[in-house]
Amino acid sequence: MSITIQNLNKQFGNFTALNNINLEVNSGELLALLGPSGCGKTSLLRIIGGLDVQNSGKILFHGKDVEQRDARERNVGFVFQHYALFRHMTVFENVAFGLRVKPKKERHTETEIKRRVHELLQLVQLDWLADRYPAQLSGGQRQRIALARALAVEPQILLLDEPFGALDTKVRKELRRWLRRLHDELHITSVFVTHDQEEALEVADRIVVMNKGNIEQVGSPDDVYASPASPFVYQFIGNVNLFHSRTHALWTQQQGDAVAYVRPHDIDISLIPQHSSLPVVVKQVRAIGSVVRLEAVIGHDGEVVEIELSRERFNLTPVAVGDEIFIRPRQIKLFEE
Amino acid sequence: MMSLPQPLINNRKIATHESKAVTLLLITVALSYLLLFLGIPLFAVFYEALGKGWALYWTALQDPDAWSAIELTLIAAAIAVPANLVFGVATAWAIAKFEFRGKSVLITLIDLPFAVSPVVSGLIYVLLFGAQGWFGPWLQEHDIKLIFAVPGIVLVTVFVTFPFIARELIPLMQAQGKDEEEAAVSLGASGWQTFWRVTVPNIKWGLLYGVILCNARAMGEFGAVSVVSGHIRGMTNTIPLHVEILYNEYNFVAAFSVASLLALLALVTLLAKSIVEIKVKRNGNRLPHGETE
Repeated sequence: MSITIQNLNKQFGNFTALNNINLEVNSGELLALLGPSGCGKTSLLRIIGGLDVQNSGKILFHGKDVEQRDARERNVGFVFQHYALFRHMTVFENVAFGLRVKPKKERHTETEIKRRVHELLQLVQLDWLADRYPAQLSGGQRQRIALARALAVEPQILLLDEPFGALDTKVRKELRRWLRRLHDELHITSVFVTHDQEEALEVADRIVVMNKGNIEQVGSPDDVYASPASPFVYQFIGNVNLFHSRTHALWTQQQGDAVAYVRPHDIDISLIPQHSSLPVVVKQVRAIGSVVRLEAVIGHDGEVVEIELSRERFNLTPVAVGDEIFIRPRQIKLFEE
Repeated sequence: MMSLPQPLINNRKIATHESKAVTLLLITVALSYLLLFLGIPLFAVFYEALGKGWALYWTALQDPDAWSAIELTLIAAAIAVPANLVFGVATAWAIAKFEFRGKSVLITLIDLPFAVSPVVSGLIYVLLFGAQGWFGPWLQEHDIKLIFAVPGIVLVTVFVTFPFIARELIPLMQAQGKDEEEAAVSLGASGWQTFWRVTVPNIKWGLLYGVILCNARAMGEFGAVSVVSGHIRGMTNTIPLHVEILYNEYNFVAAFSVASLLALLALVTLLAKSIVEIKVKRNGNRLPHGETE
């Protein structure tokens, strides 16, 4: 089921949470809403799910306005950052909840409910926890149960609000890969909110980058990373060095004030000056896993440049703190100041 | 056998530990204070009540006026507690789960009965509904008697006890947030289903705790009830008022016998309260979102 968002606005008092948002979520895709906290991504998600109401604008599911349908009628599965499992119910009852509250004539028989719940628990690979209470589960297990619970009512749309936000790094990585696989199996239109660019890049089909209630860019993870549409996106996704054009005119023909954005791993180093290279002094060398990160200072103005090299590349040109080296960007992007 | 020197770490004092003497002194002070101000009076009530034997005790309790006082007390509590139960849950729900104008005013108003002297709250009702009060003439015209009658006693009891349940629930519900309710609604539950299946089970111990305290106060209230009751024997006397009358008539055995009922109620309340507290602790996991890993 596709979701269409038209001219959506949301205000909290004087604060504009969403500023005229237009967005199309394709049927069956996994879309990430990415942005810093307070950018409006969670508000947008909650409005889609019917948990909040917009001040103006429209939401359409599969071309139909859902204005008149409240949260319980939208047939949307919602997964919360803090799981929101019913703490007084067992895992089984949590998952069965959506089936038990159906109106009498639509309700399944007890055997049918049992079958479905166990099916879902098998899907999230936690069938053996059916009799436990949420407090007895780990964070990762709770979130998988929360997902099973949301899927129990066969929603047409799945909304996930920072689903991995409360988990530690390792569990988080496992779980997001698992979510991606699950989505590939189920093909249910899903929107998830995150402030973690790595998560969005790894999991989503498309990414919507948001800032201060506006959409900055919509695109595939590759698009968003390789050709950011705005300085904000450049800085938010991945590390970046800024070079002011006036001082580094050798890299650009552009007239007037502009800022050049260069990723740390798009900088080449050499020990001897080369065409249009810039002399810098190495201030710090840190090996982090498979990469080596250099911090260098541009001689004439003291600006700090971050450079990232693979270990192999570093071994070809080993440098030490205090060395003078020459840097040259492989790829730059200019934004007017 | 060679005695080894104790490892140094065992001799080191934990920062918050005091010496034995200080600990002992503190415990003695606390216990004697409790004994002096709580233990002895409680003992005295039962001693005086039973001092002249069980027979006299029973006779005192079987007095029709005493019975009528017990009955009235039970009626007042039976109305005030459920009324404040509904009010308390509704208010706590509104305050904890919604944002609205005048919320802080409402929170302050709930505490009003705690802040106002019970005598004053009784007086307010006399001024409103008494013969010379604002609504007095209108009530008289329609032949409705509130003051110096049972309805007045029920009214002030409701007034005096209404913070108990709301006060107990508000922090609990605020801490629990509304995630679970939102989850329930998104799963298709109606408001009513959400309330009974999600909200009530989450607050039941806090609710019971509030009910116990509310009930104890409803049965024990003296000041406010005294003002509106008129002290008509066998008609508008509650247990505390009846105790006072008996005492003023130098009928000590009867006074203490009836008073022992209230003391018993207090003991039962304490017991119930402890049981609920233990239950709550055992259920653990009172934290928002159940994060106890």
